[in-house]
Amino acid sequence: MNLDLTSRTGGGTATVTGGPEKAPPSSAPPASTPPADARTPDTSAAAGLVPAIQRRLGRGKSIPFGRLLGPLLLVLAWWGASAAGWLDPRKLSSPASVVTSAQELWVSGRLQESVQASLSRALLGLLIGVAAGVVLALASGLSRVGDAVVDGTLQVKRSIPNLALLPLLILWLGIGETMKVVVIALGVTVGIYINTHAALVSIDARYVELAEAQRLSRWVFLRKVVLPAALPGFFTGLRLAVTAAWLGLIVVEQINATSGIGYMMFQAQQYAQSGIILVGLVLYGTFGFASDALVRLVEGRVLSWRRTITA
Amino acid sequence: MATYDHRLSDGGPVAEAVESAAVRVNGLTRSFGDRQVLRNVDLTLARGEFTALLGRSGSGKSTLLRAVAGLDHTTVGTGEILVPRRVSLVFQDSRLLPWLRILDNVVLGLPGDDARERGRAALDEVSLGGRASAWPHELSGGEQQRAALARSLVSEPELLLADEPFGSLDALTRIRMHRLLRRLYERHRPAVLLVTHDVDEAVTLADRVLVLDDGDFVLDLRIDLPADRDPGDPLFQRHRTTLLGALGALPDDRTKDTEEPS
Repeated sequence: MNLDLTSRTGGGTATVTGGPEKAPPSSAPPASTPPADARTPDTSAAAGLVPAIQRRLGRGKSIPFGRLLGPLLLVLAWWGASAAGWLDPRKLSSPASVVTSAQELWVSGRLQESVQASLSRALLGLLIGVAAGVVLALASGLSRVGDAVVDGTLQVKRSIPNLALLPLLILWLGIGETMKVVVIALGVTVGIYINTHAALVSIDARYVELAEAQRLSRWVFLRKVVLPAALPGFFTGLRLAVTAAWLGLIVVEQINATSGIGYMMFQAQQYAQSGIILVGLVLYGTFGFASDALVRLVEGRVLSWRRTITA
Repeated sequence: MATYDHRLSDGGPVAEAVESAAVRVNGLTRSFGDRQVLRNVDLTLARGEFTALLGRSGSGKSTLLRAVAGLDHTTVGTGEILVPRRVSLVFQDSRLLPWLRILDNVVLGLPGDDARERGRAALDEVSLGGRASAWPHELSGGEQQRAALARSLVSEPELLLADEPFGSLDALTRIRMHRLLRRLYERHRPAVLLVTHDVDEAVTLADRVLVLDDGDFVLDLRIDLPADRDPGDPLFQRHRTTLLGALGALPDDRTKDTEEPS
C-alpha cells in the first residue's frame, strides 16, 4: 500500500514518505514510533495527545455461514428441551423421532414423492409468475400506455390477498394442479412486478442524460442502461417472489391436495403423527432458506459491480 | 415577460460563416419559469477553436452548454443552434455506468466493428490502457474522469462540450488533467466549449474566453499565449485580472485597471 503510493507520487516526495515506509511493521500507533528523519524531533512527550484509535462504525466482517447460526441454535434448544423431558412427545416430537419419521418416509418412498410434487408445483408457479411479472413491469415501465393500462390494475391486485381470490379461482379452474400453479404464480407476479417496475421508473436521470449525449439508440439504451439499472430491483422482487411461492404452495396444499408435502402433513394430522408434521415443516423451512440463499448467490454474481455495506 | 426576438439566419454572412464554424447559435433564449436565463444570445465557435465559457453560478453558462448539447428538451426557449454531426459531452461527474467495465463504458454507443480497438486506443491515450476491464468504482476520481475523457474523444468529435469537467477533482489532479486535455485537444483538434467558473483554468486552457453574466456575454477575450502556459507570465496575469474584473470578483480599487463591463 505504502509502496504503491510512493511509486505513483514519484521521486519528489520520497523523503517525506521514507519515514513511515522504513518503520518496522509493528502495530504500535504512529505517535509512539520515533521516525528516523528530523521532521518530528520531539513527539511522544507532547501534552494533550492521545494514541490514535481506529473506530469502526460499520457492521464489521461477515461471519462465514453466519446465516445458519440462528436456525442451528433453535434446533439445539429444541433438542435440549426434548431430552430434558420438558416437551410432551404427543404435542412436539423430539428431533430424534423427527429424523426417524423422515427415515421411514424415505424408505417407503413417500418423502421423495411428496417433495417432488411440491417442488414442481412451486417451481412452475415461480417461473410463470416471474415471467409474467417481468413482462408486465417492462410494459408499464417502458411505455406510458403500458403504465396507464397495467400499473393501476396490478396495484389493485396487490391489495387483494390471494386467499381472497381462492373461491373464484376454484370456481374457474377446479381444485386440480392448474389452480394450484396459478395461485402460486399470482403471488409471485406481484412481488416481481412491484420491485422491477419501481426500479425501471426510478432510473437515475443522469444516466438518461448520458445516453442522450452519447446518442444511444433506444435499443442500446434499454440493453446497456435501463435493464442493468433495474436488475437490483428485480432481485429484491425475486427474493420476495420466492417467499411468495412457498407461501402460495403451503396454502394450496391445504386444499384437497392428493400429493405433496402439505398432503403428507394433513394425513399425519389425522393420525396424530406429530413427527411427520414436523418433517413437513422442516422441509418447508429448508426449501425457503435454501432458495433464498441461492437467489442471494446469483444476485451477488450478477451484481458484482455493486459495492454496498454488506460487502 | 419579454417578447423573444427570434432571429434566424439572416442572409449571406451567416451562410458564409457556417463554412468554418463548429457552432452557430442565433438568438438563443431560455427561461426557467419567470426567470430568463439566456437573453437572446448569439455565439459562433470556429472549427478547432478552444473556447472557455466563464461565468458565476447562475450566469446561464451551463444552460447554454446544455442547449448546445441538445439536452434541454424540457426548457422553454427559442433560437437556432447549428452543431456538427459528431458532438461529445464531458460532465462534471465522470458519469461512468457502474455496471459496465471501463472499456465497455468508453465504447458505449460507438458504432463499427473496430469499436473495441478504438476504445483501447483511447484508453491508452489517457494512460488507462491497463484498466480496461476494471469496474468504475475501482478507479480514483481522476482516473474516472480520464476514462470519461476517453469516452468523449473516441468518437473523434468535431465539437467537444465540457461542463466543469474538473470541478470535483482535487487541485493537483486538476493540473494534470489540464495538461492532458490540452494535449488531447492538440492531437485531435475538435472545437472545444469548456464551461468553468475557474479563471485560471480558462486562461490555462483556452484560446478564447467568453464571460457570461446574467444571460448575456459581457466579454470576449482572446488569449494569445503559447500553448504551454506559465501562470507567472505577466500576460497570463493581465488576462486573469481582466477576467476577474468582468466577473466582478476584484477588490474595488483594482477594477479601474481593467476593461470594465457595464
